[in-house]
Amino acid sequence: MDFDTTVKVAVYRATAESGSPPLLEVVAEKVGATAAAIKQAYGRLRASRLLLLEGDGATIRMAPPFSGVPTQHRVTVDGTEYYANCAWDALGIPAALHRPGLVRSRCDQSLEPLDLPVDLNGPEPSAWLFHCLVPAAKWWDDLVFT
Amino acid sequence: MLFFRSEELIAAWCQARGVSPRPVVRMDQLWQLAVTWYGTRLEPVSHRPTPAEMRSIFESLGLEGDFWDPRADSFE
Repeated sequence: MDFDTTVKVAVYRATAESGSPPLLEVVAEKVGATAAAIKQAYGRLRASRLLLLEGDGATIRMAPPFSGVPTQHRVTVDGTEYYANCAWDALGIPAALHRPGLVRSRCDQSLEPLDLPVDLNGPEPSAWLFHCLVPAAKWWDDLVFT
Repeated sequence: MLFFRSEELIAAWCQARGVSPRPVVRMDQLWQLAVTWYGTRLEPVSHRPTPAEMRSIFESLGLEGDFWDPRADSFE
């Protein structure tokens, strides 16, 4: 496994375990590398669109489907609470973890709460809908606003 | 990328922002997108779908047109 893949796996597995992306120093300790080397790997993982970083280049804003900041999309899996970046990623968390979970969000117009159980085969039958304002070609122009 | 209770509420949301409604995705379609995008994300061997793969995935779910084309520059 190459270094960047090692870092990616360490980031994602630490996030899966704790509920939020790890500090850079934690990743450095896990993989036995310097903080500078991890930061350089983060930059390459950003270029590969596997991480979205804050301006310091060291803090993970998104390790999709996981969010590094609170959002309106919350997911509980095996007792661990996660924030998802968006509605798509809310279903992405149980999909990534291969575990059943509960997605809690809301209708963005009526603010009606959504409590959606998800099992290994997907969400229970639901008439709720997903809507994305930004076309696919523009998603990574501003990933926070899609 | 948001959840809505109905198409009527999507229309109201869009009207309030002066934008036209985009294509709507059902929850079963969204699950397939989630699995395709993230099913191997925690594993060493995983990658984000390429633009060509994205288009194929969208088409397999009936999501077609410029909105879903990762290379399109014509959607307004």
